[in-house]
Amino acid sequence: MKKILLCSFLISMAIVQTGFAQTAINSNTFGMMEARALGPGTMSGRISAIEGVADDPKIIYVGSAGGGIWKTTNGGASFKPIFDKYCQSIGAIAIDPKNSKVVYAGTGESNMRNSVSIGDGLYKSTDAGDNWVKIGLDSTEHIARIVVDPKNSNNIYVAAPGPLWSDSKHRGLYKSTDGGKTWDKILYINEKAGCAEVILDPTNSDIIYASTWEFRRLPYLFNSGGNGSGFYKSTDGGKTWKELTNGLPSKPFGRIAFTLAPSAPQNMFAIVESNETGLYISNDGGESWKKQSAILNVVARPFYFSTIVVDPKDPKRVYRPAYTFSYSVDGGYSFAESSGEGGWLHSDMHALWINPQNSSHMYVGSDGGVYMSVDKGATWMFLQNLPVGQFYHVAVDAKEPYNIMGGLQDNGSWIAPSATPGGVTNSSWVALFGGDGFWVQPDGVDPNIVYAESQGGNVGRIDTRTLKSVSIKPQQGVGESKLRWNWNTPIVIGQANKKNLYIGAQYLYKTTDQGRNWTRISPDLTTNDKKKQEQENSGGLSADNTSAENHTTIFTIAESPLDENMIWVGTDDGNLQYTIDGGKNWVNVAKNYAASGIPAQTWVSSIEPSRFDKNTVYASFENHMYGDHKTYVAKSTDLGKTWTMFKSDEFTGFAHKIKEDLVSKDLLFIGTEMGLFASTDAGTTWFRMKNKVPDMALVRDIQIHPKTNDLLIATHGRGIYVIDDISPMRLITKDIAEKDVYLFENKPMRLTNGDWGNGGFPGTGGWNAGNPISIPPIQYYLKDRLNSGRVVVEIYDDSGKLVQSIPASNRKGLNKVYWNQRMKPPKTATGGSKVDYGGFIAPMVLPGKYTVKLKAGSKELSSSVVMQHDDKNPNFSKEDRQLQYKTAMDIYRLHESLAKVVDDISGRQKQLKKYMDSTSNKKLKVTLQEYYDQLEALRANCLATKMKSVFADEERIRERITDLYMAVAMQESAPSNLQLQRVGVLKGEVDGAAQSNEAIVAKYDAKVKAALIKEGLLKDDKPKVENKKL
Amino acid sequence: MKQFRFTFLLVASLFSLSASAQTADEVIAKNIEALGGAAKLATLKSVRMESNLSVQGMDIPVVTTKVHNVGQRVDISAMGMDGYMIMTPTKGWTYMPFMGQSAPEAMPEEQVKEGAEELDLNGALFNYKEKGSTVELLGKEDIDGTSTFKIKLTTKAGKTRTYFIDAKTFFIIRMTAKATVMGQEQEVSVSYGDYKAVDGVFFAHTIGGAFGQGDMTVTKIEVNKAVDEKIFTVGG
Repeated sequence: MKKILLCSFLISMAIVQTGFAQTAINSNTFGMMEARALGPGTMSGRISAIEGVADDPKIIYVGSAGGGIWKTTNGGASFKPIFDKYCQSIGAIAIDPKNSKVVYAGTGESNMRNSVSIGDGLYKSTDAGDNWVKIGLDSTEHIARIVVDPKNSNNIYVAAPGPLWSDSKHRGLYKSTDGGKTWDKILYINEKAGCAEVILDPTNSDIIYASTWEFRRLPYLFNSGGNGSGFYKSTDGGKTWKELTNGLPSKPFGRIAFTLAPSAPQNMFAIVESNETGLYISNDGGESWKKQSAILNVVARPFYFSTIVVDPKDPKRVYRPAYTFSYSVDGGYSFAESSGEGGWLHSDMHALWINPQNSSHMYVGSDGGVYMSVDKGATWMFLQNLPVGQFYHVAVDAKEPYNIMGGLQDNGSWIAPSATPGGVTNSSWVALFGGDGFWVQPDGVDPNIVYAESQGGNVGRIDTRTLKSVSIKPQQGVGESKLRWNWNTPIVIGQANKKNLYIGAQYLYKTTDQGRNWTRISPDLTTNDKKKQEQENSGGLSADNTSAENHTTIFTIAESPLDENMIWVGTDDGNLQYTIDGGKNWVNVAKNYAASGIPAQTWVSSIEPSRFDKNTVYASFENHMYGDHKTYVAKSTDLGKTWTMFKSDEFTGFAHKIKEDLVSKDLLFIGTEMGLFASTDAGTTWFRMKNKVPDMALVRDIQIHPKTNDLLIATHGRGIYVIDDISPMRLITKDIAEKDVYLFENKPMRLTNGDWGNGGFPGTGGWNAGNPISIPPIQYYLKDRLNSGRVVVEIYDDSGKLVQSIPASNRKGLNKVYWNQRMKPPKTATGGSKVDYGGFIAPMVLPGKYTVKLKAGSKELSSSVVMQHDDKNPNFSKEDRQLQYKTAMDIYRLHESLAKVVDDISGRQKQLKKYMDSTSNKKLKVTLQEYYDQLEALRANCLATKMKSVFADEERIRERITDLYMAVAMQESAPSNLQLQRVGVLKGEVDGAAQSNEAIVAKYDAKVKAALIKEGLLKDDKPKVENKKL
Repeated sequence: MKQFRFTFLLVASLFSLSASAQTADEVIAKNIEALGGAAKLATLKSVRMESNLSVQGMDIPVVTTKVHNVGQRVDISAMGMDGYMIMTPTKGWTYMPFMGQSAPEAMPEEQVKEGAEELDLNGALFNYKEKGSTVELLGKEDIDGTSTFKIKLTTKAGKTRTYFIDAKTFFIIRMTAKATVMGQEQEVSVSYGDYKAVDGVFFAHTIGGAFGQGDMTVTKIEVNKAVDEKIFTVGG
C-alpha cells in the first residue's frame, strides 16, 4: 500500500513537473553558435609535461599549464586536445609501461610561479586518452610527478607538492597499490611541505627516491625553502624512509630536482636549492654526494626549473632544460648549451621526453611550446600547431575586418586580423611588444596606434605602420612615493570618451594625447600596507623578485560608458574606488562589497560600469592568493553602496572578468579560472557556456565587438576564442525558448562571394583558425532535437518559384543554415568520362526579397530575407550585376540545351544496344551499329568521353561551356567583350549539335523503325511514342 | 580517398542499427526494442536503401544493397558516371570514376577487415556477446544538446566503436570510430536522425557527416527482397 501511494505520488509529481517545466536557457539553447579557436600556434604556451609511448614513440601526450592535454599519433605533425571537459592545468602525465592504453593525468601544474593555476585531482584513462575518470587526490591542487611501477601496474606513486597559497594536509607522496582506486600517503612532512619529485629505481621498484619541498606564496611574497624540504630514500617500497644528507649542503633546502641514470641507476644527479644551491652527484644510489661546479643555467631558479634527465642508455649524458637548454656528455662534470641553429629555443623549460628507441630524438616543453630535436638536443625545431598560448587580456579595434590583440605570459603582445585570405594562421600574427604581455589597447581615435606593455608597467605606444614603440610609462613625481606597478598593470581606453587613456600604479594616471603628457588624477588608491611591499625579500633561499610579487597596486580601471568623469578603480589589495568628477574626489566602497559576503583584501579583478544605468556597476573579485577559490562576482545598482553577489551552482573557479553585453542589459558573461558562464536574465540564473569552448577554460578576459557582435574570449592556456555573432543570445527570450520551432527574422544580406579573398594554398602546418563565414546564416531554433522527419530550408523568389532547397540540421537549440545566395545548378550533360563542375555551379540570385520557408518535421514557418547588391565592392555596379546575371543564365541554358541533346542521344543509344542484342538479322545489326556509331561520334563531340586520367584534359562542347560558365557565374564583375562574344559561339555549337542530332535521326530513324517492325521487335501501333523513344 | 572509403563503410553500417540503457545491457536492450525488437531484427536478411546526397545543390543518388553477412554494395551515380564500392567478409573493391579512378581497385586488406563487421545487418550491439564483443557504458554525454548514453563497443578483433544513444528515444544519434588504416589514424563521426519504421524495423533516414558532406537523405528502404549475390563481385 505504501508502495502504491509512493508511486502515485511520484506520478502526480511527474505530471506537475511536466506541466510547469520551463525550458531552461543554457549552452544547448545556442546550439550551433560555436566558438572558433583562434590559437595561434606562433607563440604557444607553457608546457608542463611530455610523455611518449615507449614501444610506439610517435604517440606523445603533451600536458600544458592551462590548455589541457594534447595528443599526437604522428610524432607531432598534428595534435588533438583530449582533455577538454576537465581541468586545463596539467602537472604530470604517466603512461603504464606495461599497457600504453592506460594513461594518468595529474591536474595542477607545479611550476609555482605567481600566475600558476590549480588542479582538481588525478585522472585515469584506460583507452589511450579517449575517456577519463577522476580517481582521487581532489584537494592536492598541484601534482608534480606520477610514476607507475614498471614491474606492477597496480603500484602508482604521485608526488603532490600541494596547495601553493595555503596550509594543507593534502600534500606529500601518495601511493596506490590497486591501480588508483585507493591511496595512502606514504611520505608526509607537514601542512607546509609537500612532495616535489619521486623516482623509482628501474632495476628494483622497492627503491624509491623522493624530495619534499616547503614553499608558500602570498600575494606579495614568495618563499621557497624551509625545514620541511628534504631528500629521502626508501628501500621497501615506501614503508620506511631515510633522509639523504651525506655530502649534501646543510639544511634548510628549497626545491630539489633530481634524477638517476636509467642504465646505471646508482648514478644520480640532484640540483639542491639551499644556501649553497648547486649540482650534486652521487654514484652510490644517493648514499653519498659530491658538489659539482655548474654553469648558471644548471642551478637557475630552482622553484621554476625542476627538470633534469639522463639519457635512457648513456649514463654520462645529462640534460638540464631550464632557463636555457644545457647538456653534459661527461656525467655532469661540464655542460654545453644547445645551438641556436634552427631557431631560438624558447626559454624556461619544464619537460623533456626522450624516445627510448632512439635517444637522439627528443621533445622539450618550454614557456613557448614544444620543440623536437633529432640530434640529442643540439638543435631544435618548433612544433607550430599547439594553440596553448596564455593570454591575459584581449582587445579589438574598429577596422574591417577588425584586429584582435592581446598579451601573453612570457610571449609578448601580438595583433592579428580577425579574418584574412586562407584563414587566420600563425603567420597572420604580428609581434607588437616583448617580455610578458598583458593589456594591449587600440587607441580610441587614431587607427594606427596601439598601446602594449611588459611586466611591471612598462607601457609603450606603438605605431602599427612602423611597429616602433615609445615608452610612455609615467614616472615618479616630486613628493610621490616610489611607483608600484602590478605585474599585470592596467592600461585602459575610455569608454565614454575614447581619447582618454588610463594607467594605474598606486595612483591613477590619465592622458588625452597618447601618453605624451600624463596627469595624475588620484591619491594612492590602495591600502598602502607596508607589510605587503617587501618584494625585495621575495624568493626564499633563492632571491626571486621579477615584479610578479608587486602588491598594493591598481589592478583594474573602468570609465563609465555613460560619463567620462565617472571612473572606477580596483586594487589588488581589496580597494574598490570611484570618482564622479574625473578624479578630484574618490569614494572607497571596499567595506560595502565586503558586507555582501566577499572577503576583504581580495583582488578586484574586473569592474564593469553599466552602459544602461550610471548607478549600476558589476565587479569580479578573486581571493585565490589567500587559498579561497570561490567565484565572487557582484552587482550594485546604487553606485556601490550595496552589493548583491551572483550565485550559481554552476560556478567553478575564481573570477577574472564580468562583462555586460553591449545591447541587452540582461545578458552577462563571467570568466573564471575554470570556465565561461553566461546569464540571459540579468544574473538571476547562470549556465556554463560550452559551445566548443573547453568546459574548464581559464578565462581571463571577455570582449564583445560592437559591430560584428562577436564574443572574444582570452584564455590563459588555449589562446583566444571567438564566438561569431552572439546576437541569438539577445534574441532567444524565454518565450521563444518555449516554442517547438522558431524561425528568426533575417537582416538584409549582401550578395557576395565572400569578403576574405580567393587566394591561397592549403595550410602547410601550424594552427589555422579559419575565417568567420562572410555570408550570414539563416537561423532557427528547435526546442528539442527533431527525432522524426527532416529539416529543410527552402528559398523562394518574389514570384513564388523555388530557388534552392537546403537540407538543414535537426539539433536542439539554435541552428544555422547557410544559403550560398545562388539558385540550383543547371542540369548538365551526363555520361562522360570526367566530372564536369558546371553541374555544381549556379548563378547568384539578383537583389530582391526572397521567402525563407523552414520545414521541420510537420511544422512549417516562413520569414523573408532581402538580398542587397554589394555596395562594398567598388568594381561591381548594379548594372554590371544585371548583365553578369543575364549572361550567366544564357550559359546556364546552353548547358541545359546541350544536356537535352545528350540525353536524347544516350536514350536512343540505349535502345539501339537493346535491339542489337536481340536481333540476329546481320544486315539490321550493321544498320543499327551505324546509327549507333553516328550518334556516338556526335556524343563524343558534345562532351568528354575518352578521358582516362584526371591529368589528361579532354575538352568538348560541355567542357567549353563550363569553362565560360564558371568564369562568368562566379565573377563579381560585368562580363568582358570576349566573354559575351563567346556565348554566341557556344550557342552556335550547341545548336549545331542539336541539328546534327536531328539530321542523324532523320537519316536513320524511319529506316531503322521499319526494319525493327519487320523483324517483329517493334509494334507498329504506337508509332509516335516509339518514334520518340527510339 | 582513404578517409572517404572508411567513412563509407561506417555510413553503410547504418543498417546495423543499435541502442543503449542504465547498465550497458539495459541500454542496449532498450535500443533493440526501439528498433523494433530482437525478434524482428533477427529476420533481417537483406536491405536495399535509396538515398540522396546533396552536394552544393547537386543531388547525387546513392543506392546501398546489403545481404546479411554476405556482402554490401554501394552504387553512386554522379554526372552520369556510375561508381561503386563492394565489401564482402574477405574482399572489397572501389570504383569511383568521378574521383579519378579509371578501373576498380581492390581494397587494402586492412580496410576490408575494418569494414567486415559492417556487413552485420543486425548491428554490432545486437547479440554482441555472441559475436565476441564487449561493451562498456561510459555514462551520459551531451550530444549537440541531447542527453545520450555513451556506449563503447570493442569487437573480438579489438576494434572500438562508440555509440551515443538518445536517452529518451533510445535510438543511436551518433557513432564515432577510430581506426588505423595503412598506418594512418582516422576518426569518423556519423550522426543519424529521422528514424522511421520499414516493415516493423526502424531505420535512420538522415545520415549526417557522411563523406564529409551534408546530410544524406534516405528516400526508400526495402527489406528482405531477393538479392542476386553476383552484385558483390566486380562486373556483377
